[in-house]
Amino acid sequence: MTAGTMDEEKLFAARLHAVRSRPYLATALFALHTVESRQVSTMAVDRHWRCYVSPAFVDHTPLAELAGVWVHEVSHLLRDHHGRSDRFAAQHELTGPGERLRMNIAADCEINDDVFGDGLVRPEGAVRPVSLRLPEGQLMEDYLRQFRLGPYTAGYAWLDCGSGADGLERDWDLGSGGATGLSPRERDAVRFRVAQGINGSPGDIPKGWQRWAQEAFHPPQPWRELLGAAVRSAMSGAGEDYTYGRPSRRSAGVPGVVMPSLRRRPPRVCVIVDTSGSVSDAELGSALLEITAIVRAVGGRRDLVSVLSCDAAAHVTQELCHAEGIPLVGGGGTDLRAGFAKVRQGNPRADVIVALTDGHTPWPEARPPGRTVVGLFSRQRPVDGDNPHYRPEAPPAWARVVTVG
Amino acid sequence: MDVSSEAAHLRTLDIAADLLALLHDTTTEPRADTQLEALTLAVSADLPVLLWGEPGIGKTAALNQLAEALDLPLTTVIASVHEPSDFSGLPVVGDDPATQGVPMAPPEWAVRLARAGRGLLFLDELSTAPPAVQAALLRVVLERQVGALRLPPGIRIVAAANPRSSAADGWELSPPLANRFVHLQWTYDHDVVLRGLGGTWPKAELPRLDRERLPDAVGFARRAVCGLLAARPALVHQLPKNEARRGGPWPSPRSWEMALRLIAFATASDVSRDVLSMLVRGTVGDGPGLELLAGLDRMDLPDPETLLADPEGAVLPERGDLRQTVLDGVVAAVRQRPERARWDAAWSLLVRALETGAPDLVVVPAATLAALRRDDWPVPAAIERLSGAVSLSRRADQAAAGAGERR
Repeated sequence: MTAGTMDEEKLFAARLHAVRSRPYLATALFALHTVESRQVSTMAVDRHWRCYVSPAFVDHTPLAELAGVWVHEVSHLLRDHHGRSDRFAAQHELTGPGERLRMNIAADCEINDDVFGDGLVRPEGAVRPVSLRLPEGQLMEDYLRQFRLGPYTAGYAWLDCGSGADGLERDWDLGSGGATGLSPRERDAVRFRVAQGINGSPGDIPKGWQRWAQEAFHPPQPWRELLGAAVRSAMSGAGEDYTYGRPSRRSAGVPGVVMPSLRRRPPRVCVIVDTSGSVSDAELGSALLEITAIVRAVGGRRDLVSVLSCDAAAHVTQELCHAEGIPLVGGGGTDLRAGFAKVRQGNPRADVIVALTDGHTPWPEARPPGRTVVGLFSRQRPVDGDNPHYRPEAPPAWARVVTVG
Repeated sequence: MDVSSEAAHLRTLDIAADLLALLHDTTTEPRADTQLEALTLAVSADLPVLLWGEPGIGKTAALNQLAEALDLPLTTVIASVHEPSDFSGLPVVGDDPATQGVPMAPPEWAVRLARAGRGLLFLDELSTAPPAVQAALLRVVLERQVGALRLPPGIRIVAAANPRSSAADGWELSPPLANRFVHLQWTYDHDVVLRGLGGTWPKAELPRLDRERLPDAVGFARRAVCGLLAARPALVHQLPKNEARRGGPWPSPRSWEMALRLIAFATASDVSRDVLSMLVRGTVGDGPGLELLAGLDRMDLPDPETLLADPEGAVLPERGDLRQTVLDGVVAAVRQRPERARWDAAWSLLVRALETGAPDLVVVPAATLAALRRDDWPVPAAIERLSGAVSLSRRADQAAAGAGERR
């Protein structure tokens, strides 16, 4: 190879090494189109999956480190850092190269805590959360809220992973017009294939990548939205709807025609709250407030919402008119069956039952009379020393289950 | 009011009218707009479309343009202010119901549409309609039946809904109704809005269907969908378990048939895969849609047997990951029917790949191909030219060994 041109053999040998140590990223690594560029200082990607490479950087970087850089750059694209940066910037109205540098650093923090090791060498000077005095294992958006440019980041001012990492167009970018770029659909297809490969055989793939693969095309919904959707659709059969029970107001004008009329019959909602020791007050409070807000928004009146606190026995039924401060009584073991039994006895009957629990409870055998939504607090619980293999029973099929918190 | 002030008042209104006319005077320009193309294709394929979008981002404006481009009269019906009987028909009690029955009279807008014979029916604010209205709409959307009246085939149906987060008192779209629509996320494009406010809106153009390609398009679409579902039977029917996705697209035999139709239409016209991707994902959901598209990508790749038959004239895909798939396919084809001529042809293909693209892609296929050699086959001269790949592979091995020591 003549002087001045890129040592392609070394660059691609590094990619081969990267593929061999991370076979599940092979599709993505091979999909990258390399562009030799003297304007970049190291390696950089754009959002069209081109990888700009500095020949000098290839020359003076050990091959093993180069492989790590390959994986690092492709991670930016797989994790859609440019799209997330754009969304974050639009949401918070952030402008200017300083903010984009911050995004690049935060994105690097997200990648670098679990991408290296196990055959891949960490490149010298790679940003890690530790060097910014931040905890590991968080997302780019979380890191962005925790640091400003300052003494800790001064060493990274040269950092530049390209527009694929932070969304800001660079001088060297070939743009969307270039023939070698991937279209949005092709990018999705590559990301999908990688995610599918990881989901298919998660074996010894790092946790961070497994989480990415599960959420790549189905990002977790905020629980508030899910709970709202569940409660609303549970109520939709019970609330306002048409009935032929009384003639419509329109009937007067069209004799001979039978028309239904709109009648509102607000649903009665009963919330059963698990007050066993394992659920924190803060969690309960936020979930409860959320439910009352949803019920109010869909037209249920507050006097139709009642709350039942329940541990091993059902305690107080209280109508919600007395401010938000609902005294929750209980503690200790849980048996929500007591709560469901109490709802069954209630007069008038509840149309919708919402149960908030951590799931460590037996469930009633029979389906309760109303539609049921279960808000499940999902947290790691310390393993019971006496009974380490204890697993809580899954909520029954007749309930709509939403993971809360 | 005296005469002169009345005249002055009138003049002001005239001038106001002139100003309004000037403001209305906008033009259109052809512009690549994926979501508008997707909408137009689905409408011409006669599939009901549901536009999801925040209020005020121009769904209605897009519909007006679409109607204009298709030269169809537009009828807008706000679903949420109608009663179920407006869609299922009003029972009119006649003289002798026992013998004549009770006819279900259709509303005026339906009669007008049916008489025109063609038109665009726009059902706005679908998600805020009460469940009984949604249930009545099922028949309108699927069977084009409004009471006793059947809408003629020239009628196309488009609906719009606000996403839950912005609907003040939204009802959930029931899964059966959701399954009948092609769901399109309607978002605004900053540039389009700026150009539009400046007086120029993008122009909706009908996809041009190529008569010659119609039979091939149908064959292609059937192969694509059947190929996927034969291999993944679980994808045929999956009611979403997640609460928030129940009102969205999900796979069922009905929505697969819609996807098949969309692929045929996209193949017979010059619509891009990006547009098709939007439509298919909006019909059967993200996961199954992406799998279908991955299948389409594989169908586009050159057939290994064709490549082996003519290695000199072979055109390999530019993209590295696709090239890797093709080369793996070639080696697999040789493994299946090992003959010396095929083995030699595969080597020529690898050399070609090495000369026209990244060298690391060739390493694995070359090693696999070398292992397929029979004792009586001489080493082809072409292998000499693969020495670059060999030394590249050796360097990667050394790096791996180095990393192993450091671990």
